[in-house]
Amino acid sequence: MRSHSGIEIRRCRPLLGTLVEIACQGSPRDIDCAFTAMEKVQRLMSFHDPTSDVARMNCHASRRPVKVHPWTWRVLKSAQEFSRKSDGVFDITMARQLVKWDYLPRPDTRLCSGGSWRDIVLDDEYNVRFRRRLIVDLGGIAKGFAVDRAVAALKNNSVTAGIVNAGGDLRTFGSASEVVYVRHPAEPTRIAGAVRLRERAMATSGVYFERRKYRGKYVGPILDGHTGQSACELISVTVAAAECMIADALTKLVFTLRGKAAGLLAQYRADALLLERNGTPSWMFHSPCDTRDQTRFD
Amino acid sequence: MKSEFAFIALPVSALIAPSAFAVRYLTVDQAQQAIFPGKSFTAAPVKLTSVQRKAIEQASGVRVLHDEQQVWRVSGGGWFIVDEVVGKHEFITYAAGLNLDGSVKQIEIMDYRETYGGQIRDQKWRAQFVGKTSKSTLKLDSDVKNISGATLSCRHITDGVKRLLAVYEIALRH
Repeated sequence: MRSHSGIEIRRCRPLLGTLVEIACQGSPRDIDCAFTAMEKVQRLMSFHDPTSDVARMNCHASRRPVKVHPWTWRVLKSAQEFSRKSDGVFDITMARQLVKWDYLPRPDTRLCSGGSWRDIVLDDEYNVRFRRRLIVDLGGIAKGFAVDRAVAALKNNSVTAGIVNAGGDLRTFGSASEVVYVRHPAEPTRIAGAVRLRERAMATSGVYFERRKYRGKYVGPILDGHTGQSACELISVTVAAAECMIADALTKLVFTLRGKAAGLLAQYRADALLLERNGTPSWMFHSPCDTRDQTRFD
Repeated sequence: MKSEFAFIALPVSALIAPSAFAVRYLTVDQAQQAIFPGKSFTAAPVKLTSVQRKAIEQASGVRVLHDEQQVWRVSGGGWFIVDEVVGKHEFITYAAGLNLDGSVKQIEIMDYRETYGGQIRDQKWRAQFVGKTSKSTLKLDSDVKNISGATLSCRHITDGVKRLLAVYEIALRH
């Protein structure tokens, strides 16, 4: 299956709660390695799997230090950095709200209402400790991290070009420039626009398939750690950054903060495309990227 | 290689959702080799009786839509099953490889299709894309390979696999 972009092989598996597609200039073996890396991320960071690092932390870390895999530790470190830089808007301890709204299953631990990212303590030996009874969910960035690990696995196998797409979190590398379509935020079965992407990661967040009603009000899975409120407007946010984990986290921040996220985007040299409910695009550019649309809205 | 993140204008005709977004990943033969490399396969289709069907539905909590199940026996042990799941907008054919003990070895998507009756409704919105500054426009019909936020969910596949594990317990194992 050779196309203009030199992609030779394309595979798709259910993983991380979505369908993950990997296409590359390589062999089935290479793709297997990439999927294996992603499966490992799933195993470590699943909220549902009782043996995952996340489940073990949620169960024990408020009582004793829990040793986690270096990958989990890295994701936690990054999450803490996003929390610090966004002054707590990004907060993995908002999981308790997601449990309340039924986005996540109820864990065995008793939950307390307080606590924030500031109560998570990481030491340099990969130990995690919670100062209060709280739970974390890495759903906001683990998928992006998994995409990064898949790309690393492919590169490690000397694959020269490819794309990994985990249902909205994707990354391209090598010569291939890929066209990625973005769904219309209010009518997700339509396509609202397209971007061309090369040597870059990108993530899209929208609540179109995920919004639900709780006590008569719409709620969504993207929460503002400051207010505890969810952003559930029918908009979509696409962020392009060097790494998919960064793009993944930044989409959530732009979703909540909109224009106020510009400083964060600049720090990570990332670009954002925001589609309003009616499909109107607005852009925030902060990267040294190659070509772009001339119409700026920011 | 320099990074790129560029906006692309779509021709007016393309602004609808593709009426069918479809990808074929693997044929049956390819899926067999992807899951069980180097093995040989003997077709062993299963026709479920109404009793088995009920038992499968009860064990898995998932409805059985077809009585016939495409099953192959794998040389050296194990099973290869081709199955379909249907969601609101998506239609997925996938292959499941089961080990001899009935545990899941690997799942591969063979065909993915999304279908809708999408139409252009918002003329004004559509107009903003026409004649924009981008360097290229696209044909949507054949070119849609990557959609950001493409998948609805893989819940249907999870249910499908649950059902297949019940098929194994009830119709294959003995």
